[in-house]
Amino acid sequence: MRRFRELVGVALAGLTARKIRTFLIMLGPILGVAAIVSAIGINESSKGDLKAKLRELGTDLIVANAQDQIGGFGSNPRIPEEATARVARLPDVVSVSATLQLSNIVTLPFAEASDYYRAFPVPVIATTLELPATLEVPLVSGRFLNDYDESSGARVAVIGKDLANEYGYMANEPRSIELNGISYGVVGVLDYVLLEPSMDSAVFITFANAVEDWDIEEPDPSRLYIRAPTNTKYVAEEIPTVVSLGGPDGANTSVPTDLLDAQSQVDENLNNLTKMMGGLALVVGGVGIANVMSISVIQRSSEIGIRRALGHSRGTIALQFLFEALVVGVLGGILGAGTGAGVVWLVSEMRGYTMILSVSGLFRWALVSVAVAVVAGLYPSNKAARLEPLETLRLG
Amino acid sequence: MGEPLLSLEGVSRVYGEEVLVHALRDVSLDIRAGEYLSIVGPSGSGKSTMLGLLGVLDLPSSGTIRIQDVEVNTLPDAERSRLRGQAIGFVFQQFHLVPHLTALGNVETALLYRNLSRKERRRRSLEALELVDLGNRHDHRPVQMSGGEQQRVAIARAIVAEPLVVLADEPTGALDTRNAANVMEIFAGLRSDERAICLVSHDLDVAGATDRRISMRDGEIVGDEWQGSVS
Repeated sequence: MRRFRELVGVALAGLTARKIRTFLIMLGPILGVAAIVSAIGINESSKGDLKAKLRELGTDLIVANAQDQIGGFGSNPRIPEEATARVARLPDVVSVSATLQLSNIVTLPFAEASDYYRAFPVPVIATTLELPATLEVPLVSGRFLNDYDESSGARVAVIGKDLANEYGYMANEPRSIELNGISYGVVGVLDYVLLEPSMDSAVFITFANAVEDWDIEEPDPSRLYIRAPTNTKYVAEEIPTVVSLGGPDGANTSVPTDLLDAQSQVDENLNNLTKMMGGLALVVGGVGIANVMSISVIQRSSEIGIRRALGHSRGTIALQFLFEALVVGVLGGILGAGTGAGVVWLVSEMRGYTMILSVSGLFRWALVSVAVAVVAGLYPSNKAARLEPLETLRLG
Repeated sequence: MGEPLLSLEGVSRVYGEEVLVHALRDVSLDIRAGEYLSIVGPSGSGKSTMLGLLGVLDLPSSGTIRIQDVEVNTLPDAERSRLRGQAIGFVFQQFHLVPHLTALGNVETALLYRNLSRKERRRRSLEALELVDLGNRHDHRPVQMSGGEQQRVAIARAIVAEPLVVLADEPTGALDTRNAANVMEIFAGLRSDERAICLVSHDLDVAGATDRRISMRDGEIVGDEWQGSVS
C-alpha cells in the first residue's frame, strides 16, 4: 500500500510538473468520454420524454377509423352503431368509445362574440359517454356527459381545456355556448388529451343531441377508441373484420403509441452511432497518450537513468509511467464524464427535457477511459523500463 | 582495513557485435570499508566503464562483481536494483537532479520504495541536506540553485540511504574552483570506517586528495598507489 502511494505520488509529481502537456494528453479521454456521455444522455433525456408520454398514454389504445370499402370520391364513411357493441364484446377489450366529428358548426362563447369567433371553427364532437374512461383522461372540472343527458336529450356540452382557457371559463361556472345559435350548457372541462391534441379545443356533445340538432340521421360514429390491455396487436388486427362482417362498411386501425415506440427505436440507432464516434475519439485519445508519453520518455531519459541508479528497478520505472497514464485516464474520465453531464444538463434545460443520466453509465465510460489510457501507456512504460541507465546518464 | 565492500574479479567489458571494442580487460579490484580512492586515467582509458560496472549499472561480459559477498551479475534486475540502491550512492558530473522536484524531493527519491514512512523519508533527507549545509534550501528547485549547490544536493541524495560505497563521476568537472574545493571538502568529511568513497576523475588534483589512486589506461589498471595514511 505504501509502495502504491509512493508510485501515485511520483506519477502525480511527474504530471503536475508539466501541466499544459498533461492537460493536452488528457484532452483525448476528456473529449471522448464527454462525447459519449453527452450523446447518450441527450438521447436518453429526449427519449425519456417520449417514454413518459408512452407511459401516460399507455400502449394499449387502438384507434379505429371508418373506411369506405369502395372508397368512392367524397364519401363520408361511418362505422355502424351496432359495430361498436360488437367491438366492445371482444374478449380483450375493456372499454370502447365512439365519436363523430360534426362539420359546419359555428361555435361561440356567447352570441355577441360572433364577429370575432366566426373565423375560427371549433371542432364539435358527438361522443359516447365512456370517452374519458377509454382515453384515461380526467376532467379538470365538472362532469362528463352522462346517461341522463343522453336519454333526456338535454343540451349540455363538455369543452376541452384549451377552449375553456380561451373562453375564460372558470371551474363550475354556469355558462352556455352557442353552437350554430343553439345554446348548450357547459357541464365540464376535459383535461389535455395527449393523443388527440385537437380535442383540447373541442366541444363534446351526446349523440342524442347530434341526431336531434344536426342532420346526421343515424348515430353512427366515424371513429372508435378501444382500450385493450392484452393482445392489443391482435385486437387491432381483428377490429376491421368485426366492424365490416363482410359488408361494405370498414375500418382501419392503428395503435398511436406504436409511432412513438418506433421513434425511440430510431433514437437507439443514433445512440449506437454516437457511441461509436465517441469510442473512436477515445481511441484517438489513446493514440495521443501513447505518442506524447513516448516523447516524454525520451525527454525524461536522464530522470529515468538517475532513478535506476538510485535503485528503482525496470518494473518500478514501468509502473511509474503506467501510473501516469492511469492518472491521465482517471482524471480524463472524471472530467469527461463531468463535461458530458454538463452538456446533457444544458441541452435538457434548453429543450425542456427531463434530464436523464445514468450514474452507472458515467462510471462505466470513465472506466473505459482508464482502460484506454492504461493500454496506451503500456508502450511508453515498456520503453522507459528498457532504457539503459548508462546511456542516459552520460558518464564522464 | 575490513572485508571488501565491492569487488571486481577478472572483469572484462566488450561492446559491439561485429566490431568489438574492449573497454575493460580482465580487471580485478577490491574496494574496502574506510577507503577514499580515486580512479584516474585519460579519456578512453575505461574509467567510465569501470564506474558503470562498480555501480552495477552495467554487467560485465565476463568476470564477477560482488557487493560484499553477493555476486550481483547473476541476480535478476529487481534484486540487483534493490542491492544497488542499498549499497551504492552516485554523484555525477552533471548532477542529474530531477528538475521538477525540490532539493528535498530529489534527496527523497533515493528513499522511495523502501517501506519508509513519508515522515521518516523527510527526516532523513533533511538530515542529509543539513550535512551538506543546504537544510535551509530544501524547498528550492534545481533551477533556483548554483552548480555547487546542485552538486551538494546530489551528494546528499547519494548518502541519504547510507550506502556502503559512494561513487562519484568527475564530481568537480562542472564546477568552478571554489565550489570544487567545497565539494572535495564534503567528500573528505564523508569518510568513515563503514563506508568507501570512490572518485572517478581525469583531474590529478582530485586524485591527489584521495588516499589511494588507481590509474587506468586502455581498459587496464596500470597503477594502484597509496598516497596517504591507510586507515
